[in-house]
Amino acid sequence: MPWKLLVRNVLGHPVRSLLTIGAVMVAVFLVCILQAVTSGLSRSLDASSANRLLVQSAVSLFVNLPLSYQQKLTAVDGVDAICKWQWFGGRYEQDKGGFFPQFAIDPEPFAPSYPEMTITSGSYEEFKQTRTGCIIGEQLAQKYGWEIGDRVPILGTIFTRVDGKPWEFVVNAIYESSSPAFEEQQMFFQFAYIEESLEQGGATGPKGSGLYMLKLSDGADPISVQRAVDEMFANGPQRVQTTTEAEFNRQFISMLGDVPQLLRLIGGAVLFAIFFAVLNTMLLAGRERTRDLGVMKALGFSNGVAAGLLIGEALLLCATGAGLAIAIALSTEETIAAVTATFIPGFALDQGTLLMGATIALMIGLVSGLLPGIRAARLTTTQAMQEIV
Amino acid sequence: MAFVPIRYNVRSLFVRFSSTCLTVLAVGATIAVFAGMLSLQQGFAVLFQERGRTDLALFMRQGATSEGESGVTRTQCSILKKEVPEIERGADGNPLASAEMYLAVRLRKFDGGETNVAIRGVEQATFAIHGDDITITEGENFTPGSDELIVGGGLLDRIANCRVADTLKINTVTFRIVGTFAGKGGYQSEIWGDLDRLSEALERPVRSRVLARVAPDTDLAAIEARYDEDLRLQPKVINERDYLASQTSSLSGRFLFVGRFLALIMGIGAIFTGTNSMLATIGARTHEIGILKAVGYQPRAIFLSFVGESLLLGVLGGVVGCLIILPFQGAETGTMNSTFSEVTFAFRTTPTAMLESIGFAASLGIIGGLLPAWRASRMTPTQALRRS
Amino acid sequence: MSAAIQLRSVTKSYTRGGEELRVLDELDLDMDEATFYALMGPSGSGKTTLLNLVGGLDHADSGAIQIGADDLAAMDSGELAQWRSEQIGFVFQGFNLLPVLSARENVELPLLLAPLSRSQRRAQAERALDLVGLGDRMGHKPRELSGGQEQRVAIARAIATDPQIILADEPTGDLDRDTADNVLELLQRLNRELQKTILMVTHDPQAASYANKTIHLDKGKLGRIDDNSQVQRSS
Repeated sequence: MPWKLLVRNVLGHPVRSLLTIGAVMVAVFLVCILQAVTSGLSRSLDASSANRLLVQSAVSLFVNLPLSYQQKLTAVDGVDAICKWQWFGGRYEQDKGGFFPQFAIDPEPFAPSYPEMTITSGSYEEFKQTRTGCIIGEQLAQKYGWEIGDRVPILGTIFTRVDGKPWEFVVNAIYESSSPAFEEQQMFFQFAYIEESLEQGGATGPKGSGLYMLKLSDGADPISVQRAVDEMFANGPQRVQTTTEAEFNRQFISMLGDVPQLLRLIGGAVLFAIFFAVLNTMLLAGRERTRDLGVMKALGFSNGVAAGLLIGEALLLCATGAGLAIAIALSTEETIAAVTATFIPGFALDQGTLLMGATIALMIGLVSGLLPGIRAARLTTTQAMQEIV
Repeated sequence: MAFVPIRYNVRSLFVRFSSTCLTVLAVGATIAVFAGMLSLQQGFAVLFQERGRTDLALFMRQGATSEGESGVTRTQCSILKKEVPEIERGADGNPLASAEMYLAVRLRKFDGGETNVAIRGVEQATFAIHGDDITITEGENFTPGSDELIVGGGLLDRIANCRVADTLKINTVTFRIVGTFAGKGGYQSEIWGDLDRLSEALERPVRSRVLARVAPDTDLAAIEARYDEDLRLQPKVINERDYLASQTSSLSGRFLFVGRFLALIMGIGAIFTGTNSMLATIGARTHEIGILKAVGYQPRAIFLSFVGESLLLGVLGGVVGCLIILPFQGAETGTMNSTFSEVTFAFRTTPTAMLESIGFAASLGIIGGLLPAWRASRMTPTQALRRS
Repeated sequence: MSAAIQLRSVTKSYTRGGEELRVLDELDLDMDEATFYALMGPSGSGKTTLLNLVGGLDHADSGAIQIGADDLAAMDSGELAQWRSEQIGFVFQGFNLLPVLSARENVELPLLLAPLSRSQRRAQAERALDLVGLGDRMGHKPRELSGGQEQRVAIARAIATDPQIILADEPTGDLDRDTADNVLELLQRLNRELQKTILMVTHDPQAASYANKTIHLDKGKLGRIDDNSQVQRSS
C-alpha cells in the first residue's frame, strides 16, 4: 500500500482537504456537544444510590413538607437516619449570572449518609459547630477561588433577609465526590440557621423542608419503607411521594419533555449533512483520480490498492476532522457547561461521548471512500485511461 | 458588461447531477435544523406573546419574577380590590378584580413520566374579566365552591386523567373534571378551579395575584408608586401583556439562542461543503472557462456567474430544508418554562420562518461561492485551455 | 531476458452505441525477442487494443496470447497485475505521471510492488533516471518539467523494474519534433543496449523509422511487416 501516495493525495489538494476536514470537524463537534448534553442526564441515573430514599410532596415540586413530619418519620421501620434537604436557590453576589445549587441540610446525618463525599480540606466538625458555616465542592472552590475561611455572600431569591442584605456563609470545608451523581459544584449549609432566621423574623420564606432524605438500614426493603411512608401521610396535611434516588432524578428528565428527542433529531440531521458532504468530496476526488488510478493498475497495482487509496484518504480526512473537533470540544468544555447549566445540568464530555464522535466520523469516512473506491476498482484499466475527467 | 447566461449555470448543475444532489442535501439538512428551530420559536411566540392584554393588570408581591414566587395575603387582596380606583367596575357595580392562586402541581403524562402543570384557583370574577378570551368548549364550567375543575384544551393530549368525568386527586382531596376550556396563550395549558376549595386542598392560604380590568393606557407604575411607603403591602403592578412577555422571553430567547448557535456552526460546515463542491466543479470545467474567456467574457462576469451558481445551489438547499420541515407543521410539542411547568405549543413554519431560512441558505451559497468564483475569474485563458 | 510474443487467432470486440465492433479479427502475429517494433494502421484498426492485450490490461474474447512461457488467457486479473508489474513497462502519449509525486517518486512507484527495501528502491529509481538523462531533476514535480522531460521520466518509470517488454502508445504524439527525436533515440538505445523488446504504436512514419520493423494492421488483421533495417535512422 503506497502510504506516501495516500498522504500526498491529501496534501496535493490542500484547499479541498482543509475544507473537508473543516466540515467533519464542525459536525463531530456538534454531535459530541449534543450527546454530552443528553448523556449528562442519564449519568446521574446510573450512579444513584440504592439505600437512600427521598420523600417529597406528592402535590408539587414547589411545596414544602411540614417540619412535624420529621418526628413521625423516625418511627418508620428500616430508617437509619433522616436528613432534611431544602433548595435554597440563591445567587452568588459577585456572579449573578453564574449558577450553582445550594442546599440547606442537617449536617449530623448528612455526611454519613453520603459516603461518596470525602472532605479534602477544612473540617466537617467545624462545619457542624458553625451556625453560618458551609461546605463546598472542589469544582465550585476552583471556579471562584474560594478557600477555607472565606465568607461567601449569597443573595436569596426564595429566602430573603428582611434587612435586604445577602446571606453570608463561612467556608468550613471543601469536599470531593467519587460519584457523578453527587456533583462538586454544590454548596451546603445549616438548615437550622435558615429555620432560625425565619422564626425570629430576620428573613422571609417558606416553612418546612422540600425533601426528607431517608437512609435505609442494612437489609431494609426499600419498597416496604416507601409504602409505609406514603401511607403514613396519605391523609395529609401534605400527601407525600417517596421514591428511590434514581426515580427522583428521572423525574427531572421526564419534565424536559421532548427536548432530549429534539436534540437527537438535530444530531441526526448534522450527521446526514456531514455524510453527504464527505461523500460528495470523495466522489469528486475519485472522479478526478480516475486516470491516476488507471495508471496505477497498469503498473500492476491491484484493485484493492486502487480502492484502498480512496478509502484511506476518506478515513484520513475524517480522522483528522474528528481529532480536531474533540480537541476543540475538550478545550471549550467548561464554557459550554456554564452556559447550558441553566437549562440542562450535568453537561460533561466523557470518554463514551468522544469515542462515539470519533467512531461516527470514521464510519462516515469508510462509507464515503467505499463508493468511489468500489467504482475505481471495478473500472478496467482501459476504461480508466480513456475517461475524460 | 455582458453576463454569462444563467442557462449555462443551470445546465451545469444538471450535468453533474449526483454532485449537485449531494451538496443540496447537505445544505438542506443544515437548513432543516435552522428552519426547525425557527418554527419552534415561532410556534411559541405566536402562542404567547401576541395574546397578552394591556387592559388587564396583575398585582403581585414586589420582587416576584413570576406568579409562582408571588404571595399576596387575603387581606392584601381585599385592600387592592377596594382601594384601587383605576379598577373598572362591572355591570353590578362591583370592581372587576379577582384573586387567584397559582401552583405547579405534579401530574402524570400519558407516556408514564411526570410533569408539572399549572393549577389556578380563581374567583368567578376572573371569567368576567377575561370575557370571551376564555370559553368552555366541552362540558360546563365548575360550580363555585365545589370540588370541580375545568381543564385547558392544550393538556388533553399530553396529561392523563384530565378529560371530562375523570377525577384528579389534588393533595388529599379528589376533584372532578366537568369541562374543557379554550384560552389564550399559557392558559391553554392550565387547570382551573374554585379559589377557596383549591387553597384548602393544597393547604395554601396565600394567593398569588389579583387580576383586574383597567383602562388600556392606565399608568400602572403610578399605582405601584402609591404604595411605596405603605406598610400593609407593596405590590408589583404589571399588565398582562408585559407579564407574559417577561415569562416567555427567557424560553423564547433560549430557542433563538440555540437556533442561532446551531445555525452558525452548521452553517460553517455547509459553507465548507459548498465551497468544496464549487471548487471541484470549476476544476472540472477549466476548459469551458477558458473558452468563455477566449470568447470575450470579462473576469467579473465569470465571477458573478459562479457566485450565482453557488447561490442557486444554496437556495435549492434552502428549499429542500424547508420541505423537510413542513411535514412537522402543527406537530405539538411540550417543554417546560422557567417554573418547570408544562408548556405546550405547536411547530409553526410561518412564511417568515421559511423566508428567513431560504435567506440564510442563500447567504451560505454566496459565501461558499466566493473563493471558487474568484479563482475561476483569475484564470488566464491559456492556463484554462491548456489544463485539459 | 527477452521473450517472444505470439498471438494466435486473437479476437476482440467492443460494444459502442449498441453496435458491436470487431476490433481485432482472428489476428495471428509473431514478434521476436529484443526487437523494436512500430505498430501502424488507420484509426480503428486495433493498434491500441493490441497493445492493451499484449500488456495484459484486457482479455481477448478468444484466441491465445503467449509471452515467453506465460499464457495470458489463463491468468486472472490478479495474476495479470502481478505479471504486468514484473514483465511490462508502459509509456503513454499523455505521460500520465502522478502530479503529487516527484520524478523519482513516480519512478519508484512500480518498484513498490517488488520485494525491495527502501534504499534498493531508491537506488534503482535513480539509476533509471540517470539512464534517461534526468539525474539532476529527480526532486522535481511533473508540473516543473517540460513535456520531453516528463516523457523521459515516464520511460524511466517503464524500465525501473527491468521488464522484458516496453509498450509505448503514441509516445511522441504530444512532443515537438526535436524532443520527439530525443525520446525515440532513447527508445532505440534501450532496445540496443538493454535488449528490450519494444512495441510502439504510432501514426507517424518518421517515428516508425526508428524501429527495427513496422507492423501494419488493417481492419483487425495483420497487413504486412516491413523490415526497416535499410531505411533506419542511426543515432
